[in-house]
Amino acid sequence: MDASLFLNAIAAGILLGGFYAAVALGLSIVFGQLDIVNIAHPAFIVAGSYLVFALNGGFGLDPVIAGILLMPIFFAVGVFVYRVYYAAFERTGRESLAGLAFFFGLMFVIEVLFIIFYGVDYRLVEADYIGKQIEIGLVGIPWRMLVPFCAALVMTGAIYLFMSRTFLGRAILAVSQDRLALQLMGADPVKIKQIAFGIGIATAALAGALLIMIGPVEPTIGRLYIGRIFAIIVLGGMGSIPGTLVAALIIGLSESIVTTYIGPSWAPTVAFGFLLITLAVRPQGLFGRL
Amino acid sequence: MANSLSISNVEAGYGSVRVLHDVTINVGGGETVVLLGSNGNGKSTLIKCITGLVEPDSGEIIFETDGEKINLIGKSPEDIVDLGIAMVPEGRRLFPALTVEENLTLGAYRPAARAKLDENLEFVYGAFPRLLERRNQLAGSMSGGEQQMVAIARSMMSDPKILLVDEPSVGLAPILVSQTIAKIKELQEQRNLTILMAEQNFNQAIKIADRGYIIVHGQIEFEGADAAALENNEMIKQYYLGA
Repeated sequence: MDASLFLNAIAAGILLGGFYAAVALGLSIVFGQLDIVNIAHPAFIVAGSYLVFALNGGFGLDPVIAGILLMPIFFAVGVFVYRVYYAAFERTGRESLAGLAFFFGLMFVIEVLFIIFYGVDYRLVEADYIGKQIEIGLVGIPWRMLVPFCAALVMTGAIYLFMSRTFLGRAILAVSQDRLALQLMGADPVKIKQIAFGIGIATAALAGALLIMIGPVEPTIGRLYIGRIFAIIVLGGMGSIPGTLVAALIIGLSESIVTTYIGPSWAPTVAFGFLLITLAVRPQGLFGRL
Repeated sequence: MANSLSISNVEAGYGSVRVLHDVTINVGGGETVVLLGSNGNGKSTLIKCITGLVEPDSGEIIFETDGEKINLIGKSPEDIVDLGIAMVPEGRRLFPALTVEENLTLGAYRPAARAKLDENLEFVYGAFPRLLERRNQLAGSMSGGEQQMVAIARSMMSDPKILLVDEPSVGLAPILVSQTIAKIKELQEQRNLTILMAEQNFNQAIKIADRGYIIVHGQIEFEGADAAALENNEMIKQYYLGA
């Protein structure tokens, strides 16, 4: 076996996995902890990519900085979307099917908006380091993968600390388990969910920046990620932040190895394979609590 | 330290079903008052009216703390908890997929309690050493008696002035019921709490009661000025003791 090929596949897989964690993180909170099936999450990520593209092209902003600057705006959008979702569906208990249709529709609206404004061509961002790579022995590590990997780790770590160390974070962990009990702790469940949803959407801004650094983006590219994201969340254990990171690394590594040795067209089967095996063997996922 | 509750002429129900009729009870500072009645007579509904989970149709619920009188009707449960009124709900209502310590920490959510988090955590672990041993265990995987300890400890984490306890005996073995009731009394003495406890287990409840009320079909049928008055009441003999 060619050692260089193998080591490069491993390195690329780890970097890809870190990026997947950033992509799945927001839905890990929204779906894993709030039980809201926000199928439009990848569309929000692509929206992040296009806005980063605009800031990068218009002002020459570094994509990561642009992604971070967009986070507060995405948070506000998330709060607004949750309010609409709550008033229209959750309050009346119709969230399961009507809510799913709502997010499906939202996904189409976002996609069409970007098709209207930017067309269906692929777009990409520019930064000095994109296109360069570090050579470590036999392994080449491209900056366009390394920067997203590091940004994803920092964001995942920050969310993990927020969830486990703050009162608000712990209330988010509790809200879907017993909302009446949470009221008796002095927290308003609707406000808690609103903030959590906002945080989930805010992560899509930075994930979008990372997506467009890794490769060119077109308006419907988010659809490639829907299955992968759900597979990561289920494999990691619903709502577990460390679980999301570990599952993302596992799926990234596996996809990279499959791509290298079997062929790129087989890569999408990896996530679904893991999803099926997880549901059959360990439905609570790697880090699932119950 | 006067933290008292006066509930006057409260009427409440769910939709067209009337549950409470003209209920008037008082809970004085530092008192342990029991609300006795069998299932379906309105005990839980009254407790829920105090915590804002059910809004009464009419009447007054006044919480008096340090000379200030606050009407609780119309306030959200969050605001009522913020004032220092904690509730141990029927059936415990723990967060099953969180650890014991995470459950306890959530008890200290209200701003006034956050600053005292470490101090109160030490206090409840002192009161319930078993919980210290099991602090990292998921609450949902514990026995009923342990879960009741977590529920009581969690309510103490909010540093309450008034503690409302709804049916602490439900689902517990008799030996655990008397331990739980004794523990509530111990906490009352240590923290000089004002307690209103709804309970159907008459014999256990009057062990710690200073005073009590009997509620039948949503009406207060008897007010006992002390435990002896409750024990010797004809209605209690009729309803509870089968005489």
